[in-house]
Amino acid sequence: MKLAYYPGCVAQESGKELDMATRWVCRHLGIELVDFPNFSCCGSGFIDEANSILNVALNARNLAIAERAGLDLLTVCSTCQGMLTLANRRLEEPATKARVDGVLAPLRLSYSGKTKVTHLLGVLVDTIGVDALRSRVVRPLQGLKVGAFYGCHLLRPQSEMNSESAEEPHSFEDLISALGATPVLYRGRVMCCGFPILFVKEPTANRIAGRQIDDAKAHGADAMATPCPLCHISLDSFQNKAEHEVGHSLDMPVFHLPQLVGLALGASAEELGLPRHLVATDAALAKVARVAVPT
Amino acid sequence: MAASTTSTPFEVYRFDPSKDSAPRYDRFTLDLPAHTPVLTALLKIRTENDPSLTLRYSCRSAICGSCAMLINSKSRLACQTPVGPELARHGKIVIEPMRNQPVVRDLVVDQKPFWDRYRKIEPFLKTDARDPMPVGRENPMTPEQVDRFHETPRCIACAACYSACPAVEADPEFPGPMALAKLYRFVVDPRDKDSKNRLVRIQPEGLWLCLRCHLCTEACPKDVRPSERIRDLKEMAIAAAGVSEPGSRHAVGFKDNIAEAGILNEFKLVRQTYGPMDLLRQLPQGIKVARKKPEILKKPDPIEGLDEVRAIYKALDPDAEDR
Repeated sequence: MKLAYYPGCVAQESGKELDMATRWVCRHLGIELVDFPNFSCCGSGFIDEANSILNVALNARNLAIAERAGLDLLTVCSTCQGMLTLANRRLEEPATKARVDGVLAPLRLSYSGKTKVTHLLGVLVDTIGVDALRSRVVRPLQGLKVGAFYGCHLLRPQSEMNSESAEEPHSFEDLISALGATPVLYRGRVMCCGFPILFVKEPTANRIAGRQIDDAKAHGADAMATPCPLCHISLDSFQNKAEHEVGHSLDMPVFHLPQLVGLALGASAEELGLPRHLVATDAALAKVARVAVPT
Repeated sequence: MAASTTSTPFEVYRFDPSKDSAPRYDRFTLDLPAHTPVLTALLKIRTENDPSLTLRYSCRSAICGSCAMLINSKSRLACQTPVGPELARHGKIVIEPMRNQPVVRDLVVDQKPFWDRYRKIEPFLKTDARDPMPVGRENPMTPEQVDRFHETPRCIACAACYSACPAVEADPEFPGPMALAKLYRFVVDPRDKDSKNRLVRIQPEGLWLCLRCHLCTEACPKDVRPSERIRDLKEMAIAAAGVSEPGSRHAVGFKDNIAEAGILNEFKLVRQTYGPMDLLRQLPQGIKVARKKPEILKKPDPIEGLDEVRAIYKALDPDAEDR
């Protein structure tokens, strides 16, 4: 399998551990990632708010670059996934398409709508399949209770994202089970992490993140996992602030999705960039370390 | 021929704050055809089992917006939700009052905060004496003008979106999805003469607290799609009022940030949004994060093909000329 790898900004910058883990997992599973140093930012929802047609055109360029190479896009961020999918949708509207075509044409770029955009979660669960993945597990995450945290834009709006059930999704929990861990079901798993207003009104954003972490904890989660590096910023990098808002300690390790997969496939904590987290993952790792990894 | 029935277990939230120290869940099991609306089942419970069960309802046709409640944790109209799929998915039907509004009794919530926020957006046409509406004849709109409303006139004020909204839950300053969708409806109404002021006023009054999580759009029984209209409002508000507070500063700052290298300059974005005083307050957190993730301070290398990105900005972003 060969895919155009769209890491998004954060995985190339402060969330570099997501990129490390993605590359490790894909190398291990025989997914060939093709890098495109000319991809631009997806707009993260903010450019859409400031100038929606500009947002569509910037993403049309990204989609056109992949189409020209004859490759589908792989995302590792719920927000990138949402924005690129939304652009694909908007480009189905003839007026929008004509306007964007007019902007791309002088750049000798064209986009016919063929690029499929798939998040790593979808590739692992639907393309590789949970059974095949299970057979590759060398360090079953037995005893680890994991609360999946989907991230809004992977799921909603469901009519635009063409996603699994936005209200009762299960692909992430299926993946967690395949890795040998126990998925924890809680209301917060499909809620918002607060990130979009983290720099607008931080206490409110922290409170929202705190509620979801608290909810996962109340349902018995030892750790959370997310397919979105923006959720990771809210849930991990600002967890101390979330603790302040909810008024008690949370101490919840939060994994990027490919880190959890990599752990089960035998990668080391360093290879997955786990020491880069703000909330230590040691307690969660101790739970799975009892299972020796065959060399 | 009678429809076949299935034994359907219900757990219904009961609470009378004047008498009960805590809420409880009463269990009822009814034999029901799969297509039975939840509301019909609740009325059957009230008639046959417990006349004290308190709930709001009226039209039973998804028009009046009275019977929104939590059905298996989702904000829905009881009259519009058949029991069959709920039972198939959850094995039982748990009924609770809506979220984000205090319980008056059982399934009835106090909607005063919801209506207060609605009133605050001034949900009525504002005319201008210098440009009066025609008297004695119609005031027609073009099909294009009608299209701009999208589905907002369909709103039945059921508050399902308000119940589902995490921003409402976390921050009393957020007007909520319904009030903002209504605001949109008046902003795009060609008969309204206060559109620009409405957009200027709403910016500091919570517009930018929307998380664009789209939970409201999923909850809405009328497909009003509040989150998408709130997005439209944000873009219109920037056009009408410029960058007047942190939300719009962040959105516009992000847009301009990407024009520079094609990829986000994280530290610069934070600096721009906060301004010097807030940045200083954030210093301890910034140091914490940067110690683990030093890349956050690094200016990113520009992407290849940045000239293409800049050409797209030049063609579509009016601000690009100023750069």
